[in-house]
Amino acid sequence: MAESTATTEREFMLDVRTQDMEVNMGPQHPATHGVMRILMRADGEICTGAQPHLGYLHRCAEKIGENVEWLQYLPYTDRYDYLAAMNNNLGYSLAVEKLMGIEIPRRALMIRTICAELNRIGSHLIAFGTYGLDIGAFTPFLYMFREREWMMALFEKICGARLTYSYIRIGGVFNDAPPGWLSEVERFCDVFEEKWQEYVDLLMVNHIFVQRTANIGVISPAMALDFGLSGPMVRGSGIDWDLRRDMPYELYAEIWKAGAFSIPLGKGERGALGDCWDRAYVRVMEMMESIKIVRWCLDSIAPGPVIADIPKTLRVPAGEAYVGIENPRGELGHYVVSDGGKVAVRCRVRGPSFTNLAVVEELMPGTLIADAVAIIGSTDIVVGETDR
Amino acid sequence: MFTEVLSAAPQSGTNAINDFLAGVKPEFVPAWAVPLTAVGIAVGITIALVSVIAMFSTWLERKVSGHIQCRYGPMRAGWHGWLQPLADGVKLLLKEDLVPVGADRVMYVVAPAIVLASVLAALAAYPLAPGFFFADLDLGIFFILAMTSTTTIGVVMAGWSSNSKWSLYGAMREAAQVVAYEIPLGISLLVPIMVAGSFNLLEVSRGQAGMFGMDWYIWPWVNPFMLPCFVLFFIAILAETKRAPFDLPEAESELVAGFMTEYSGIRWSFFFMEEYAAMYLYSVVGAFFFFGGFESPLTWGAAKVFGDGHVLYHCAAGLTLILKGFAGVFLMMWLRWTLPRVRIDQVMTLGYKYLTPLALACVLGGSLWEVFVAPILPWRNG
Amino acid sequence: MDFRGILDRLKARQAPGLVGSDEPRAADPADKKDKGRAGDPFLWVEAQALPRFLELCRDDERLRFECLIDLTATDPSKDDPNLHVVVQLLSLAFRHRLMVKCTLPKAAASMPSSVPVHRAAQWHERECGEMFGITFTGHPDPRHILLPEDWIGTPLRKDYVFPDEYHGISCK
Repeated sequence: MAESTATTEREFMLDVRTQDMEVNMGPQHPATHGVMRILMRADGEICTGAQPHLGYLHRCAEKIGENVEWLQYLPYTDRYDYLAAMNNNLGYSLAVEKLMGIEIPRRALMIRTICAELNRIGSHLIAFGTYGLDIGAFTPFLYMFREREWMMALFEKICGARLTYSYIRIGGVFNDAPPGWLSEVERFCDVFEEKWQEYVDLLMVNHIFVQRTANIGVISPAMALDFGLSGPMVRGSGIDWDLRRDMPYELYAEIWKAGAFSIPLGKGERGALGDCWDRAYVRVMEMMESIKIVRWCLDSIAPGPVIADIPKTLRVPAGEAYVGIENPRGELGHYVVSDGGKVAVRCRVRGPSFTNLAVVEELMPGTLIADAVAIIGSTDIVVGETDR
Repeated sequence: MFTEVLSAAPQSGTNAINDFLAGVKPEFVPAWAVPLTAVGIAVGITIALVSVIAMFSTWLERKVSGHIQCRYGPMRAGWHGWLQPLADGVKLLLKEDLVPVGADRVMYVVAPAIVLASVLAALAAYPLAPGFFFADLDLGIFFILAMTSTTTIGVVMAGWSSNSKWSLYGAMREAAQVVAYEIPLGISLLVPIMVAGSFNLLEVSRGQAGMFGMDWYIWPWVNPFMLPCFVLFFIAILAETKRAPFDLPEAESELVAGFMTEYSGIRWSFFFMEEYAAMYLYSVVGAFFFFGGFESPLTWGAAKVFGDGHVLYHCAAGLTLILKGFAGVFLMMWLRWTLPRVRIDQVMTLGYKYLTPLALACVLGGSLWEVFVAPILPWRNG
Repeated sequence: MDFRGILDRLKARQAPGLVGSDEPRAADPADKKDKGRAGDPFLWVEAQALPRFLELCRDDERLRFECLIDLTATDPSKDDPNLHVVVQLLSLAFRHRLMVKCTLPKAAASMPSSVPVHRAAQWHERECGEMFGITFTGHPDPRHILLPEDWIGTPLRKDYVFPDEYHGISCK
């Protein structure tokens, strides 16, 4: 450091040099929701720059897709967004089924929808619970895990696994629901509605939580579209877009026409439109909408086959297709290219967390470090999907 | 010989330690060893007290948090886990004692000691029972507040010397927070001090005897500004002890463990002993100034049945104080597991812009009440 | 709008770089070798004109493709001298999707960056670039994103060979 040769006071003040501190959040950090590193430049408590570094959880899913057979790839799909594995299975299966042009039995569609929506609830429970944990509220996280345990027990009964299911397969689902499963799902729905009110009262409208999340990380609608965001990230900014209603797949067109569910949007109730509170609000309200969808399916389900006739060694007709579904985190897209063989030519996974995370680089400068944690929590990323 | 030396120090009221030492007449002990023995006994008792308080508090915290979160907490180490703190203590003692590379060795080692020493020193001003105290200070509460404030020095030293940016953040936040909340803490205690007319803890407690031991200062007919003062005091002690919702200095989800990140083993346990001991001590201050101190129906009953000097009376009084202290600790734990964390700039805003003016307003109102209204109230005179 | 409608509109607006289209078709019964093509229709666009094409798609009032959903690439086979860059577009206003493909020669895989048009392209182009060895000229920050900074090789090309060792760690 240069020696100070200042003589007057003014010269001394100009001579004092301060430096922004470079702080490293992660890869091991309680608040980065996985193995991710964010290099932050901070002037005291104010963040002046943020740079996410990814790739710590990169497991070459796309390369593997080009080396294993179509049916063998299914367990890999579970593992990118491991908190919403049913939806991942669904996305991949739909893409391949589009290329094959087969019809899925109705009972399979019903069970798929029930499982996808239950998984959506589970994923939002974690998203909201860990968000509370990041903000400092330890207890709601454990209460939400109580309901998530029940959901995982339901999935264990139907397919044997708690987290990575590989249950929704190309052509339908792997096996039929065991007897009594559907009535237990109905009981879950009944109990969940009371518990949901508990979470809202304990965390959602808690004054400290609102103060920590309102007016933080405001994403304007134009910014949301420019960054290609999807899911609660855009709905929190007031954009009325949900793939289940606007580009329906499976039974959602029918369910929407029956008026069974609605799309919650952020309204800027507690602060600017598109702030962290709005996104958390959208996720909490979506849990109730998923319950309504599950109830509709429980009312309309009828016995029948649960899987179409798929050969063990599948050869998918040549072509390419893109299918995007509404993952709890946003639009999960699968782009599959086939040359008619046993193995895919290209199996591209468009993970919503990857695209949603890019906006963090833009949102963080100018906020406090505590807000940085709130912003990352509100993007609801799963690093498995960010890195694939 | 003993009595000469001991009676030279200013005393008021009986003191069990002095009585005990006076009763023992070992001619073979030289004169200079006498005060040292007294001090040694006192220090031993304080260290034992702090350890027991910390151990019990860790168990209480884990059980309280467990039950709030719909789970049991420790259940295996002893009946309902009461031996768990012992197991934790043994584990911490056996851990590797390390100093991070690049850390300032001297400050790193000294910081936890300073933090614990300030709390131990504050304990010297506490009476454990009406007849069992280490020193009957006329400056009681002033001394306690001063000593508990010096823990900040240790925390900042810990954060700086750890050679880690996250620890530094924790230390800076802690320093800012504690300094900000010292003001409402001290000011809110002025109203009960005015009513009591003394800083001395024993006198404050004695002033609340009456009405079967329930004539506490918190009741609105004593001074209606007591209740707002207590609320301010409670919020201030939450911030002073770095408990949620003001636990930013150790914000687990942001700074890993704040200023304690680089500490492990017995050094880390010093910080935690200080935290729980400070929680208890501040609670007891609140108990003295707002909730009667030693006075309760139990104490009144023991005085009636056994008489003022009987050892069971002192036990009842001591037990009352312990229960009140731990009620405050329980309330602090309850709040920790319910409320989220407040951001540092919001903490500062709350402290400087809202609590300090409110505290000043309460003092103004309280003192006006004392001067003009209290003399005409029949239950305040005599 | 359906695919034909989008294609007609683009032709009417003289979209820059539009080369052709490819729609799914059933197998030709006369030709045993032709198995047909399944899946989605897409457009062929010149790689060097892609940003201008995307800008037209975004701004045209009957197309309004505000969202760039995905930008990636495909290596069709080891023998094919070209890479295909694949772009998925989405219109929230009109609820339609569009798939756009460009060919890039493997030997000279360089094309202009679409970041000025859609900021979503920023991270997608970084990933595409490191996995396929495509250089997006004009990209503000072309570092590796998923791979380590010093990784050698372009993993998703069909002729990629995994290195024998990395920083002294044997990769066999």
